[in-house]
Amino acid sequence: MGERATSPARRKFLRAGTLAAAAAAFSGAPHAPAAEPRRWDDEADLLVMGSGGAGVSAALEARSRGAEVRVYEMLPIPGGSSCLSGGVCYMGGGTPLQKALGFEDSREDMYRFMVAASGRYAALAKIEVYCNESLAHFDWLVANGVKYAQRFSPEKELSHEAASLYFCGNERAYPYRDIARPAPRGHVPPAKNQTGGRSLMQSLLASLQQHGVQVITGASCERLVLASDGTVLGVEVRDARGMRAVRARKGVVLAAGGFIHNPQMLKQHAPELFACSPHWGRAGDLGIGIRMGMSIGANVLHMRQGFAVLPLYPPENVLKGVVVNLRGQRCVSEDSYYGVVGHELLFNQGGRGYLIVDRASDYAAPDYRLVVAAEAPSIAALEARLALPQQSLQQTVAYYNRYAERGEDPLLRKAHDYLAPLSAPPFKAYDLSIEQAFYAVHTFGGLETTVNAEVLNVEGEVIPGLYAAGRTSAGIPVAPYYASGLSIGDSTFFGRRAAMHAVARRA
Amino acid sequence: MRLLAAASLCIAAAGAVASRAAPPGTASPVAASAMPTGDAARGRQIFAPCRTCHYPEKGYGHHNGPSLFAIFGRRAGTQQGFPYYSEALKRSNLVWTPELLNAWLANPTTFIPGTDMVFVAIPGAQDRADLIAYLAQFHDP
Repeated sequence: MGERATSPARRKFLRAGTLAAAAAAFSGAPHAPAAEPRRWDDEADLLVMGSGGAGVSAALEARSRGAEVRVYEMLPIPGGSSCLSGGVCYMGGGTPLQKALGFEDSREDMYRFMVAASGRYAALAKIEVYCNESLAHFDWLVANGVKYAQRFSPEKELSHEAASLYFCGNERAYPYRDIARPAPRGHVPPAKNQTGGRSLMQSLLASLQQHGVQVITGASCERLVLASDGTVLGVEVRDARGMRAVRARKGVVLAAGGFIHNPQMLKQHAPELFACSPHWGRAGDLGIGIRMGMSIGANVLHMRQGFAVLPLYPPENVLKGVVVNLRGQRCVSEDSYYGVVGHELLFNQGGRGYLIVDRASDYAAPDYRLVVAAEAPSIAALEARLALPQQSLQQTVAYYNRYAERGEDPLLRKAHDYLAPLSAPPFKAYDLSIEQAFYAVHTFGGLETTVNAEVLNVEGEVIPGLYAAGRTSAGIPVAPYYASGLSIGDSTFFGRRAAMHAVARRA
Repeated sequence: MRLLAAASLCIAAAGAVASRAAPPGTASPVAASAMPTGDAARGRQIFAPCRTCHYPEKGYGHHNGPSLFAIFGRRAGTQQGFPYYSEALKRSNLVWTPELLNAWLANPTTFIPGTDMVFVAIPGAQDRADLIAYLAQFHDP
């Protein structure tokens, strides 16, 4: 599709691309494109930049279709940020695990939920293919050695080390529980202390090795090699031996993560995320793949957006408290997925707020995530100590309590299980400001791609030979992040799509 | 051997005495001269990115990386129940001191080449001191 497009816009782009390449080579910009070398140092069908979930999945898919693959990892060890993640994959529509554990799900419900929760940023075409192919993706992961335990966890956060299925997102929060039938779609290898990502990537990397592909570590892709017609021909890779030009017979997959560890890019595109701590991801999330794409005219989307997780739970009893802004008003249902709560405070409330609890809804012990801003014997005194507008917090709590006693929350429709009046002193306010609270953030912005992970230029045309997946692309995850496993799910799924398309491509 | 040489260099650079364990939570005289005084409260946020892989709290156990509870005075690469140490770290024969950690956090790629702890350097001396002061709080009385 689009590969032989010769519209005036495309010709203009090609000229611009060539000019840009020449200018960049002249300027010596680090990730600007390079011209075709007189001699290639190496070649393969598919070149993959990055060995996280997206890159390894692309390599596996290509290899299983008989392609010759190179996987380059700039760091000394493979696995990327996926390896440090919780390892949750968002899958549904009736996976064997969902069925075995007695949960009904349909791809229509999964689709409706994902579209509704993605709001105006929903990547409709991608969500559709993702839901339609979810069962096949589950089978693929299992076939590549990923292990799931036949056990469900009822907890909101996957803290259960022996379980593999849970409600990992906002499915049961208002209004989504009324839009689509909730189902547990978080699929994760059983692991202690949220190390499912290590388990997931160990399995995929082992499978890759069995397929005869060794990740080349300490090898950093730095420039795309561009033909004069704008087609991507290969990459320049820097390793211990120096810079080498490698030709891609079928395509190049940029799967080099996001840009959470590139302070300049982060400040420029996503100052809200920059202001948070911690920046979440492995050291390779430097935006290099994104910049390589941008430097040849690729379009970017959602650069301001990201994952902004404020993990108030576990324990879940604290969700009976109320989250308020600096006007003393509730602004987000406390039982929402923690990425939704974090996003609301960070982007809509200026990165400020408090979690108000009473004795029953307090944490059992001091916790690293939050510090106490004030403590008082009454809500009135707490309001005064926080210097909130007069009567604001008192009205909020009085209104909340009046309905919570009846198990109702007309304002934000928090689920029944998390409703209780705040009545037992002492009352505490935990500081939810970005200066004090633990906001784990990473980026969602990246190269615009098709459902086949082909990178698009600023005119909306495919750049022949170039693919992107995972957080180097603008994928299914958009802000607010509404369920764990969307990012790893998107990465592994569209990494595979990139390989399928590239291997079939007539270069 | 290359590794040991590199580690020794780093230790020398940090002005620390190799393998001399500081009592938990106390700064050695060497540290006082080489490192600014740390602010543990500030260190909580500086440490936050480390929580991608490490818990310092007692009883939280290992994560992607080993527990950092009572880390100072402990021999590197020897914790029970953590099978993922790199050979480089296991063979390093280091005992963790604030000075060594300070050197590592400043020089992630050269301190112990071959370690699996791949992270973004903490360039600020005060930030490192704050982080170390925060970590030093986690030990038995």
